Amino acid sequence: MSAEVEAGKTESRWKLSLDTWAVLAAFLLALLVRVGAFKHIPW
Amino acid sequence: MAEAITVPQVRPVQPALRFLRVIPGVLLLAAVGYAGKLLEQNVGAYAKAHHWTFPNIEYVLWAIILGLLISNTVGVPELFRTGVATYEFWLKAGIVLLGARFLLGDILKLGGVSLILVAIEIVGSLAFMTFLGRLFKLKPKLTTLLAVGSAVCGVSAIIATKGAIEADDEDSSFSIAAILALGALALFTFPVIGHFLHLSDRAYGLWAGLAVDNTAEATAAGALYSDAAAKLAVLVKSTRNAMIGFVVLAYAIYWASQGQAKAVGNKAAFLWQKFPKFVLGFLLISVLATYHFFNKDQVGALANLSRWAFLLTFAGVGLRTNFSEMRKQGLRPFAVGAIGEVVIAGFTLALVYGAGKIFGW
Repeated sequence: MSAEVEAGKTESRWKLSLDTWAVLAAFLLALLVRVGAFKHIPW
Repeated sequence: MAEAITVPQVRPVQPALRFLRVIPGVLLLAAVGYAGKLLEQNVGAYAKAHHWTFPNIEYVLWAIILGLLISNTVGVPELFRTGVATYEFWLKAGIVLLGARFLLGDILKLGGVSLILVAIEIVGSLAFMTFLGRLFKLKPKLTTLLAVGSAVCGVSAIIATKGAIEADDEDSSFSIAAILALGALALFTFPVIGHFLHLSDRAYGLWAGLAVDNTAEATAAGALYSDAAAKLAVLVKSTRNAMIGFVVLAYAIYWASQGQAKAVGNKAAFLWQKFPKFVLGFLLISVLATYHFFNKDQVGALANLSRWAFLLTFAGVGLRTNFSEMRKQGLRPFAVGAIGEVVIAGFTLALVYGAGKIFGW
């Protein structure tokens, strides 16, 4: 099997779904709020 | 082996380039959403100052209307489309952040009730949509897609099922168009019916979460009623979403037994692959909030971040809805979907009334 195919397989193994990206982004924001990087979010 | 080597011909798009492509559309979502927020604040004040009788239109509806106007008049230019499609991302991030406003006890209490209602809704809706599909002589796989779209969670469920049962692209386009058109109608009809029937926030939130198909539309339909209704609609809709893997697995096994789809190998892996991960994120944030990982101000900040994420989502709901594109898909699947949705809306409303009587709401 070629290196290209192997590389393609490795890439797809690490590809995250939209759901997972959304969860990670939300957790990152929550963490920034927790450590005080965002003190107040206006609405 | 030669075929294997020729497979990766598509040039991968660099992550940085992919990110740049998203920016114009996200800016458009933000502009439309923020314009909706400004309109809510200013139109009401202007009407009041000039002694006009004008209904109080929430930013949710303004953002959707503005999006619909753009999409159905000038259209969304190609440059913005990739970014506009990120509205699903903002929706899911917003739901996870909304978890901070739920205490775990409330989720277990409401989630338990909604789980029972969701189970009844899914079984009833699947059975009725299958009956309707046969009555209207729709293709069996198209019927399956419409049934899953109406019973579980709209477009995501249709896409997940399409792959699992090897349905045609045409069938999935039909189903998605019907579900999206009916979701758009639900946005305008559900709040009116809710107010007409004087439904409480709890009853309305339960109803919207049970009956509106797409998560974005269910969230918007809840938000159009009240903040409390939106919270409950999201919780109930997420419970429905959590069922997607089981329903898709059941259909995959059925179609494989008919020799019309691939057999499912590892069922646990299949369920995990189809499970909406944002539901887990929502639960985890709620656990953290319950155990005071965030203080009161931080919970407020997370709630506002969730609102901003939903603002982009609501703009996206309007921008991606194009009625002329939907008309092209034909009338019959739409008719089946419409009849099904009306019956499901009535059925779920009866369920909510019944639950209200049993649990004394």
